[in-house]
Amino acid sequence: MMVTVENLTKRYRKTLAVDKLSMEIPEGEIYGFVGANGAGKTTTMRIIAGLLAPTSGKVFVEGIDVSKEPLKVKEHLGYMPDFFGVYDDLKVTEYMSFYGGLQGIYGARSDELTDSLLELVKLTDKKEAYVDSLSRGMKQRLCLARSLIHDPKFLILDEPASGLDPRARVEMREILKELRTMGKTVLISSHILTELSELCTSIGIIDDGRLVASGSVSQILEKMTHSGMIRIKVLERQDEAVKILLEMPEVSEVSSVSDILEVKIKGREELFAKVLKELVDKDIPVVSFHPEEGSLESVFMQLTERGTENEN
Amino acid sequence: MRINPILKKDLKTKLRGWRTMVLLCCYILLLSAILFLYFAGNNMLVPYSSTAYSPRMAVDAYNLLIVFQFALLFLAVPAITATSITSERERQTLDLMLVTKTSSVRIVFGKVMVSIAHTMLLLIASMPVLGVVFFFGGVNFADIAKLLLFYVITSFFVASCGVFCSTLFKRNIVAIITTYILLGIITFGPFIVLLISVYVKELVLRNVGFNPTYGDFLKPLFPSSIFGFTSFYYSGSSMYGYGYSLWGSVCQEIESQIARETGILRFFKPWIVNSVFNIVGSILLILLSAAKLNPVRRKK
Repeated sequence: MMVTVENLTKRYRKTLAVDKLSMEIPEGEIYGFVGANGAGKTTTMRIIAGLLAPTSGKVFVEGIDVSKEPLKVKEHLGYMPDFFGVYDDLKVTEYMSFYGGLQGIYGARSDELTDSLLELVKLTDKKEAYVDSLSRGMKQRLCLARSLIHDPKFLILDEPASGLDPRARVEMREILKELRTMGKTVLISSHILTELSELCTSIGIIDDGRLVASGSVSQILEKMTHSGMIRIKVLERQDEAVKILLEMPEVSEVSSVSDILEVKIKGREELFAKVLKELVDKDIPVVSFHPEEGSLESVFMQLTERGTENEN
Repeated sequence: MRINPILKKDLKTKLRGWRTMVLLCCYILLLSAILFLYFAGNNMLVPYSSTAYSPRMAVDAYNLLIVFQFALLFLAVPAITATSITSERERQTLDLMLVTKTSSVRIVFGKVMVSIAHTMLLLIASMPVLGVVFFFGGVNFADIAKLLLFYVITSFFVASCGVFCSTLFKRNIVAIITTYILLGIITFGPFIVLLISVYVKELVLRNVGFNPTYGDFLKPLFPSSIFGFTSFYYSGSSMYGYGYSLWGSVCQEIESQIARETGILRFFKPWIVNSVFNIVGSILLILLSAAKLNPVRRKK
């Protein structure tokens, strides 16, 4: 296992930022960390990176305890925060060589790695440019290259696409795909769930400091194949159908859009059958019964609304 | 040889621009102007005047220059170092350094080294100006070498204080002010302690005939760099003699007390004692700064 997090808790005075969070990231996995602002993603990532002490709990990277041997862990770990962190008065190559030096890489080896990484992030033609002359997307790519200078096995990327224009996002996504083929284990956080579902092999959903769902993308979608919304078409007696549905405790909301009833269910798939049975038992002529397809986006919305169930 | 990457980066970025060179030129010009005005103002450059080319006057000019440099060291070094960590925080680059395998001790040491490198640059650049006094004689070359060593050790301590305050506070201005206050307490505080102890012994305890020894001076004053600096101030060879200024009297008192010492304390010259304190103090401050910076110990 590349990363093991055990009962991680982080408390800032009265605020509980991370609450007994446990997760595992196998080697080679691209793990998407999803959560609303303030859910505890960055705090968790900073603790894994050894930049913050947890209140309680343990984090292991490649079996090494982060709190006991932080420097050893840092040899295996690359970290890209959700801000640039660049020195404007340095040239691109000098910036890379500075961080190479901090990672114990000097001279020809540093130059060689800088060249290959700048090629990976498509900044070769900006080698001699000053960092402050780069665009936002370029700076973001340079930061990614910096986090790779010591060839880490595990990468932590906190919102790598935030604030980027669509073209820069696509470029960043392509680079991340390249990292996947290189066999890196990546923990990536983002709000752009559609991008994560394309890129990630696993997903963890965090809400109020708790991991409310974790597993492979397909597993999560399988477990939550519905968005909680059913579209029902009845041939006649629509008003009566609405009344029956509203009397059911499982139904939270019913609205009619032309001849279609949109029914919101509070619960899981098993309840769908119950709703259908109730309508059929009351002789309502149901002509179509269509649960809305779940998407990662809707899963996220449901889980963070409920915020209780752990799918682990 | 592998240079500390922090030192290498800071030197590269700071020395690349025109600003450092302009500042350096201004500094040399200022030193030269002080020297020239002193010589001219005392008729030293007028042939056949009573002070013309007098070694004693040259010694006074030398004293003036080294006091200026000493004061500058205490003013400039904190300004560089007290912002060394806070500015990394503001630029959001501190985490990026701490996430590398470079230890926090090495990061702090790198920041201290940057300041020492700047001090060295200023000192070496000022050598030709100080060298002018050699034309007149009266100043010992070995003393200048020792003075340089003392300046480097003192700047090591001052820089360590600056970096320490920089790790404690988040804002540049708070870190700078605290550094000056801390240095003020360490530098002038011992003299206040000495005055109080003398007052207590002479007046309150009615210790009639109290005759302080070098040891009485040494104990409370050793942390003060001003005390260490007295070793380099040529009070005895001054044109105006010992009693000309309070400062000259203090230096003379310390000198005469050392001369009277016969025990082991006679080897404990002010600059040596103070340098030992500065080295030990610097190491402690660097370790404390590194502990404060250590992310695993940080709670926020």
